[in-house]
Amino acid sequence: MELRPVAAAKGEGACMAQRLLRSSSTWVDAMSFRPFTSESYAQGDRPEAWRDVLAAVGLQPATSNPFYDGHATASHRQAPGVALTRIAAGAQGIGPASQANGDLPIALMPIEDGVVLRSGAGHRIVPVGHLVLLPRGGDWNIVFQRDMRAIVLSVTSEALHGRFSGKPRFSEPRVVASGGLADVFARLLDATARTLDTLGDGEWTAVAQSLSDLLLTLVHQLATSSPDAGSSATQAALLHRICQTIERRLDDPALVPARVAQAEGISERYLQKLFEAVGDNFTHYIRERRLQRAWADLSSPAEAHRSISDIAYAYGFGDSAHFSRAFRHRFGLSPREFRQQEAERSTAQHGVAGQRGWPQEALAQLRVHHGLGDIRTGAARLDGETNLPDMAAGRKHHHLPVEAARVHWGYFSRSLPPQIEIASGDTITIETLTQHASDDPELMIDGDAGAESVFGWTREQKNVDRRGAGPMDASVYGRGAGEGFGVHICTGPVAVKDAQPGDVLEVRILDIVPRPSRNARVAGRVFGSSVAAWWGYHYDEFLAGPKPREAVTIYEIFDDVATPHARAVYSYRWEPQTDPSGVVHTTYDYPGVPVRPDSVKRRHAVLDGIRIPLRPHFGVIAVAPREVDFVDSVPPSYFGGNLDNWRLGKGAAVYLPVSVPGALLSVGDPHAAQGDGELSGTAIECSMTGTFEVILHKKADLPGQPFADLSYPLIETETDWVLTGFSHPNYLAEFGAQGQSEVYAKSSLDLAMKDAFRKMRRFLMNVKGLSEDEAIALMSAAVDFGVTQVVDGNWGVHAIISKRLFQDAP
Amino acid sequence: MRHHTLQVSPKTVHWGYFSKKVAPALTLRSGDRATIETLTHHANDDYERMIAGDPGAESVFHWTRENKAVARRGSGPIEGPFIRGAGEGVGVHLLTGPVAIEGAEPGDILEVRILDVRPRPSCSACHAGRCFGSNVAANWGFHYHDLIEEPKPREVVTIFELDTSGDPFAKAVYNYVWTPQTDPDGIVHSSIDYPGVRVDHATIKKRENILTSVKVPARLHFGTMGLAPSEADFVSSIPPSYTGGNIDDWRIGKGARMYYPVAVPGAYFSVGDPHAAQGDSELGGTAIETSLTGDFEFILHKKADLAGTSLEGLSHPMLETDQAWSVYGFTYPNYLAELGADAQTEIANHSSLDRAMRDAFRKLRRFLMTVHRLSEDEAISLMSVGADFGVTQVVDANWGVHGTIRKNIFRCD
Repeated sequence: MELRPVAAAKGEGACMAQRLLRSSSTWVDAMSFRPFTSESYAQGDRPEAWRDVLAAVGLQPATSNPFYDGHATASHRQAPGVALTRIAAGAQGIGPASQANGDLPIALMPIEDGVVLRSGAGHRIVPVGHLVLLPRGGDWNIVFQRDMRAIVLSVTSEALHGRFSGKPRFSEPRVVASGGLADVFARLLDATARTLDTLGDGEWTAVAQSLSDLLLTLVHQLATSSPDAGSSATQAALLHRICQTIERRLDDPALVPARVAQAEGISERYLQKLFEAVGDNFTHYIRERRLQRAWADLSSPAEAHRSISDIAYAYGFGDSAHFSRAFRHRFGLSPREFRQQEAERSTAQHGVAGQRGWPQEALAQLRVHHGLGDIRTGAARLDGETNLPDMAAGRKHHHLPVEAARVHWGYFSRSLPPQIEIASGDTITIETLTQHASDDPELMIDGDAGAESVFGWTREQKNVDRRGAGPMDASVYGRGAGEGFGVHICTGPVAVKDAQPGDVLEVRILDIVPRPSRNARVAGRVFGSSVAAWWGYHYDEFLAGPKPREAVTIYEIFDDVATPHARAVYSYRWEPQTDPSGVVHTTYDYPGVPVRPDSVKRRHAVLDGIRIPLRPHFGVIAVAPREVDFVDSVPPSYFGGNLDNWRLGKGAAVYLPVSVPGALLSVGDPHAAQGDGELSGTAIECSMTGTFEVILHKKADLPGQPFADLSYPLIETETDWVLTGFSHPNYLAEFGAQGQSEVYAKSSLDLAMKDAFRKMRRFLMNVKGLSEDEAIALMSAAVDFGVTQVVDGNWGVHAIISKRLFQDAP
Repeated sequence: MRHHTLQVSPKTVHWGYFSKKVAPALTLRSGDRATIETLTHHANDDYERMIAGDPGAESVFHWTRENKAVARRGSGPIEGPFIRGAGEGVGVHLLTGPVAIEGAEPGDILEVRILDVRPRPSCSACHAGRCFGSNVAANWGFHYHDLIEEPKPREVVTIFELDTSGDPFAKAVYNYVWTPQTDPDGIVHSSIDYPGVRVDHATIKKRENILTSVKVPARLHFGTMGLAPSEADFVSSIPPSYTGGNIDDWRIGKGARMYYPVAVPGAYFSVGDPHAAQGDSELGGTAIETSLTGDFEFILHKKADLAGTSLEGLSHPMLETDQAWSVYGFTYPNYLAELGADAQTEIANHSSLDRAMRDAFRKLRRFLMTVHRLSEDEAISLMSVGADFGVTQVVDANWGVHGTIRKNIFRCD
């Protein structure tokens, strides 16, 4: 290809040069996208930083329910006079930032849960997806009782270019009824907020302009038809209540004015008058709501399993032909066409359908029912007398062998009864098994009582039934109990006496030894397995056929030689395996399915002459997360979990923030060797036994410690501090109910790099006492960022700083 | 074998670009060695410490209203009116060379061995014999739009001193926030947008006692080394690409062997952007930028001789050290060819580690399959359990991820 030399562009010099400027040019203006995350800030600085985020859209924390100092993220973008922010944070209350009341009201839309609006007119619930217009001053507040998830738009007169004639007066917050313009506005708001970071400057300007125009129109409409102009606040409240009643009873074909009026104890005529006061009538309103709700269901992937006539029926349309006509009349296309269009769009957005973790549809249905079934049954009782620390003040040593009743497979849970309780300072030996032992049961399971117990699975009896955080009835994919939403065999949990949320648990690895085979034929030798699996980074771009494929390589581990290493023994390609319960696994989609030797073709002489230096470590070290009962063991997060960092081996320690009483420590996913990246999806997975020293650091003792202000797993080795960055540092809090699905869809090294950068900056500023400028200079000159893994859903980038830098520090 | 010397002067450097059109500063044969001086383009951040009294540096940085010794800085326009200056700062590195290799043809591979690297001591009266460098947290840094302290945004220059008495390390001397600087032609640089503008120390506020008791271990290396690409006559020195360039890997220091695909006759090797220390990612936008002198050996591997060697099929830069092989993945492996006519501007809008990781994976897979004769399944298993991927840089528009495989993996018993 012949390229025009840049220098040859004569005549257009200045204009050309403008575009040539280094990436800085795109950032200098005020249009740029600004992400916010609390991870950037020390615990004590978070409220202040959060105040700034709210202030950008004219809000501030309410005095009654201010923001606590937990996890918060926001994406923010502004244009002249327009500021749009999408917020995900913990429960809190907010109010107006200024007392002035000149500009347009602030538009706020809760996007996952309803909120409580408190104002002079009393308390109201604003349902999810509804708009509320908030005056910039006055005495009101909004309380997010669960998580704060909202889109907030602030438009000031600067955006209106003098077209703001006859300012509508808004002294009270107004909840905007759905339908018509309000829906258009809400949808645009939602779509814009989702794409804030990807819109080009020109695109963003255009969208920002439309948003301010729409808001202005909406405000005017409301001002002229509003209760302020005629009806009283009582009427507004009554109307709102009626609308809520209607919302609940849309399925009732006999929803007529007379019955609603009767239920509210008012006359039918008065009911009609209430609607007329806002420029509507009852019949039209009902029809509009029914069509809108049907529209929403038809566009939702979560409702894809319902037929169109089911949906029509659910909203009071007894006749589906009638529904079709009405729908087409309202929205311009038939329900069928609309649904297909939405489905195509949704598929295009999500790209290759990820099979990992919870599908969104299933999560949506899950919320309708309750919970996931019983927590592990048959958990061992506390090993009380022998192990509990007693009056002897000395440190104790404990031993936790591995067997079916002592493991939880594929999930973490705050609800698991502990296997054992230990005291801070105690040591404990924990046996762990690799979930890949079943890749060659003869070498890695047979003759080993512990492994046989855990993997024991016949048609009649499956010793560890639940494998993964999915439903016990396998109603999502039919893979098996727990659906393999999480795969690691975790030994534990171990409760730590007196551990409370806010404390930090130090888990120090004193020793780590491989678990030799107990099979008489190969007794004493050590084996492991590595699978190039469908969740591997390589999977969608094989060079040679068959495409795609999964390959298992069995390794032998030589750990007591001068240079400990692993060598490949043989490999095979995965073939469909029928598990003892009769389910066929065409891919490696459920852990612990025993591979029948006669079902695969073994290739020997693989990786001939290649010796892989060992890096024994535990892929999974976790404390129980606080958010939900069953958490998929695959994506790592603030609680530790599947860190897959080989630096977490003998002599290293990991500091974990305690989230639940007792901490509930679990260990698993033992690895003999892994590279940074864990590219194929697995390491050399090899059962191992670790000896740990467990130290509890109480919250009150944290200040001044390197692990003070900890909101992520911090690894310490003899020479370095290793900080763990993730695409989504706390995906459970960030995505809320969708977390266990979204985290697989939205991972990126670019996001993980950002997180690692912010954590390292915080560490250098708060632990090492540097200024921000010093911290950034040091990060450039001396901090190494590396790829931890690109296969665990929540991708990881770590930042390493050598302790040697600070050896002269006082 | 002959040993050549290439000192810095306005005639032996080109500033901010690679070019197949620049006359070679030196021509040599495969097997020859050369001592090559390089200057950091950040020397003017502290003229007194890094330029004053140094004839080479003074001659290159010389810039008065009447005379600008090296006028073109960057691959941008060289006819005014200018926004920033000739070349418009599209590319910033002071590069020494080019060094032409006799007989080099497209398709060959040039091996460059770094035999030694030495810092360039200050010649100024007050600081003679001591070595200094500058680190800039600049507008192209990864942190720039994510600052938490005021004022936002800001650019900060930190001056370091390099101590080579024992295990070499760098210590910060002072820092300052960038203030608008007026160059001799009267253009005001309100941010760091053009290289070699002398900072008037009367306009800045020095802050001392910074990074006290922090010692940064030295990693002397050359941030930018590579050959002239064939696609365009003048190519910005900022984005690294298939002929190397601004790779910014601190492992490219003493003992390293770099391999580059030759794209133009004579290869046209240039070197610059010397660094005293840098972390993987070069987060703030620069390393500790310090003038260095290197001893190099050049070996030309002819296309016909590559089969069966570790260079077979090589179409990108590769590093060999005593311990490991590294391949370099970029957001766009050859952005000049992939992004078309506006490549040099477009590339900054596409920076992504995700694409760079993808590229590094593909390059390492190819290396293992071609050179080590592994099957694809073997290569993928080995990469998962024995190869390390790291972030090279996130500040050079074409972001980098390197894939490293240790040599001792292949040692048979």
